[in-house]
Parts: sequence; C-alpha cells; structure tokens
Amino acid sequence: MIDFGLPLLLGYALLISAFLLFSNYLFDNTEFANYIYGLLALSIVSKFSAYARNDFLKSIFNKKHYKRIRLAENIICCIPFTLFLFYQKQFLFCILLNILVMLLALLKFHTTINLTIPTPFSKTPFEFTVGFRKTFYVFPIAYVLTYISISVSNFNLGVFAMLVVGMVCFSYYSKMENDYFVWNFNVSPKEFLMLKVKTCFTFFTLLNIPILIALGVSFLDEIEILIIFFILCYIYLATMILAKYSDFPNEINISQGILIAMSFMFPPMLLILIPYFYSRSIKKLNTVLHD
Amino acid sequence: MIKIEKLSKFYGQKQVLNTIDLAFEKGKIYGIVGENGAGKTTLFRCISGLENYQGNITSSYKNLKDHLGLLLTEPFFFPKITGSEYIQLLANARQIKLTNMEDKNIFDLPLNQYASTYSTGMKKKLALTAILLQENDIFILDEPFNGVDIQSNLIITEIIKQFKKLEKTVLISSHIFSTLAATCDEIFLMKNGEIIRKVKQEDFSNLETEMKNFTIGNRIDKLELK
Repeated sequence: MIDFGLPLLLGYALLISAFLLFSNYLFDNTEFANYIYGLLALSIVSKFSAYARNDFLKSIFNKKHYKRIRLAENIICCIPFTLFLFYQKQFLFCILLNILVMLLALLKFHTTINLTIPTPFSKTPFEFTVGFRKTFYVFPIAYVLTYISISVSNFNLGVFAMLVVGMVCFSYYSKMENDYFVWNFNVSPKEFLMLKVKTCFTFFTLLNIPILIALGVSFLDEIEILIIFFILCYIYLATMILAKYSDFPNEINISQGILIAMSFMFPPMLLILIPYFYSRSIKKLNTVLHD
Repeated sequence: MIKIEKLSKFYGQKQVLNTIDLAFEKGKIYGIVGENGAGKTTLFRCISGLENYQGNITSSYKNLKDHLGLLLTEPFFFPKITGSEYIQLLANARQIKLTNMEDKNIFDLPLNQYASTYSTGMKKKLALTAILLQENDIFILDEPFNGVDIQSNLIITEIIKQFKKLEKTVLISSHIFSTLAATCDEIFLMKNGEIIRKVKQEDFSNLETEMKNFTIGNRIDKLELK
C-alpha cells in the first residue's frame, strides 16, 4: 500500500470495500457468479504455486512444515471468498473451493517438459503470444459453452462465454513490460498506443468472432445486444491498455485498479477515464518515446 | 557522431556519473572499462535515453535511440516467448521486415524454444542477434562477452570488426581486456562515475600493464599462498 502512496489502513479499507463491492455486483448481476468467483479465487491462490518460491520454501523447511505452510497460505488467501460464498449461502461451492485450494497446495504441477505451445500470434509478440500460451485452455471451454448455449437456447450463457474471452484478453494487459521493450519502438507515444490497441482489437476479434457469429446466427433477435456487448469489450480493452501505460514504467497502481473496477459497475465513467488515461500515458511514454 | 557534455547522474543523493565529456565518431569502436559500479551501465542507459540526466547528449540524429541497438548486461525475457518471437518483437518495434530468420541464426540458437529456458550465454546471444537484425547505425554492447562460449566470443569479435568496416559506431564495456584491445580504436577508463583516462590504440599495451600493476599489485602476496 505504502508503495502505491496510500496510508496502510486506508489502503486495506479500500481493498476490502472494493472486494465487497465487486462481489456484491457479481452476485447481483450474474447467475454464474459462483463459478466466476471460484475461478477467480483459484487463479489468485494458484500464484502461491509458482515453482521458484516453492523451491525456495522446500530448501528451507522440511516436508511436513512446507506442506503446513502451503496449506495455510492457500486457505488464508481463500478466506474472503469463503466468507462471501458462505454469506451467499453457496455452501457446496464453499466446500468445493476449499478442497480445491488444499489440493492446489499439496499437489505438484510443475513439469520439466519443455513444450512450446503453438500460437497464431507469433508474428506480433508479445501480449497475446504470452497470454494465449498461459490461458489456451480457456478458449475451447468458451467455445463449448457457446455450443451449449445454442443447444439449450440460453442466450445469457453465450454472452457469458464472450465475457470469459474478453476478461482473459483483458488480463493480458495487466502486467507492465520492462522499459527496454517500449524504448525499442521508433514511434511516437500516440502511434505506440494506437499500435497496441490495433493489435489487441485484431487478435481479440480473431478469438471472439466464432462465438459472435454462432450466437448472431442462432439468436438473430438479440443481435443488437451482441454487437453492443462486443463494442463494450473493445472499449474496456482499449481502456485497459491506456491505463497500463498511464503510470509507465510502473505497473497499474491500486487507485487506477479501483477506477477500472468502478467503470465496470458504471460504464459512463469511461467517458472521463479514457481521456484521463490517454493523456497520462502520452506524458509517461514521452520519457522514452519521442514525437 | 554523439557528443556528451557535462553529463551527471544522481540516484537520490548518490552521484553515479560526474560531469562526463565524451565524443563518439562515426565508424569507430570505443571501449569503456572500469570496476563494478564505476558507472558504465548508467552511462549507457543515459546515452540510450533510458535514464534522466543532467548535461547534454547530442547526435546527428533527430532521435538517437531510433538508430541505436542496445545490448543489456542481463537481457530481460518474457516467460513463454520463443527465441524467434523475441527477435520478431524487436524487429517489429523498428518496423523491420524479417526474412530467412533461420539463416541469420548465426549462433545456432534453438529459436523455437522459450527464451526464458536459455542459459545465460544463449540469452546474451539471442539479444545480440535481435539487435543486429534491427539494422542499427550505433551499437551499445554492455558486457557482450559475459557468459558466452569461446566460439561465440570469436564470432562477436568478428562482428564488431565488421561494424567498423560498415562505418557503424560501437560502444563496448567489457572486463576482458584482450577483446577490447583487438577491436577498439579508443578505450575510456572509468572510476567512481568519472572518465579518468582516454587511451588511444597505440597505448593499449601500456594501459593493460598499468591496470595489472595497479589492480593486482601485491594483493595476492597478502594471501601467503602455499
């Protein structure tokens, strides 16, 4: 918190408020909230399974203590999600989530196989190239969900599949690259941002177009909603890219994260956020890219 | 031509570069030597425009950095990006269309493997290949021989000699004096953020002897090795 320029207590209070707001919003607006919630908790907890840190822990503690530490880490990290699921009376999900995080602590997922996952984005690295390799399994799931949504005539499920792809692509822009990779570009900050947005839109369209076409054909009456949703995905992706570089070379800070989260709840905020992030990005990128 | 005038750099209260004046001419190879922490990497980062500084750095280019290939001491790599994608990324950044990448893989790197799994030397060779394919006019090579095998060492030395023929300007920092002596036109000696000596090619052997005497002196005798 202190790193982000926030007093510690205020930072924690904001973090808890943002978590509660987000959780409430999710459960009020989505019928698949428990699934999204579970996946979100697992993805956060899975960070503790990183090979390097586990290797370090194993080198310091004996097997028994190591397992206790890992279990404690995963369960503690999962407590906010467990409590909220409990509050929502999602008892089965609550138990299932805790079993999964415990398994995540005890099982070893690391493999020494050096397999290069093929990607259609090799020619234009790096966000989608790296991101696709990390999340490739999400896309078949999203396409299967689309198929199910058409089979059972559930339009909302299809929209959810689109949302999953959108959120995954959104996550590709959450981490700041080393300044060397920005410095290498021989374009102006404006051109740099346009290039990033253009690449993102092209690749996002490539991943999402099968879902859009399938849903568009199957739910012709809902085509307007689909197009609006697709355009919203573009707008949020562009916002994320602009937000990412608005504090360059630092990563997105908590206050920027909160602003983005709030914009999901109140989209008109984007009318202020987009120009704000854009002007800040131009200013920050000007330190290594020149007009 | 690059001209540096009264270049100073502070990290907080600590001064790491102290009123440096240097000039680098087209088609010449310059070596920078100095102890660890002397300020070589910071000097390179300032010239590249990766650091703010006090003083002036001017060149014949509108944007010097757009013509500059920078090899970092420890090149950074993304996880899950292959060698060929890394090269592609740096080429795309300069709008260079790459053809026959496999033929240009002079260090025989496994380009289809993730770069993050490469050894230290392989990473250095990959980063060097990527900046070579960017078609730059100026090269800053921060310890290009570190961790690199002897065969590649010979290739890099030959590349630097080739650069001279192609009228490129090259700045190299290295702790291996013999490679600098074999390639450089002039060597600058840095200490505590200052350039304390500028040595022309004809005086390289004297510099090496002086450095040996100064650095080693009677230090080893103190160990009383038996």
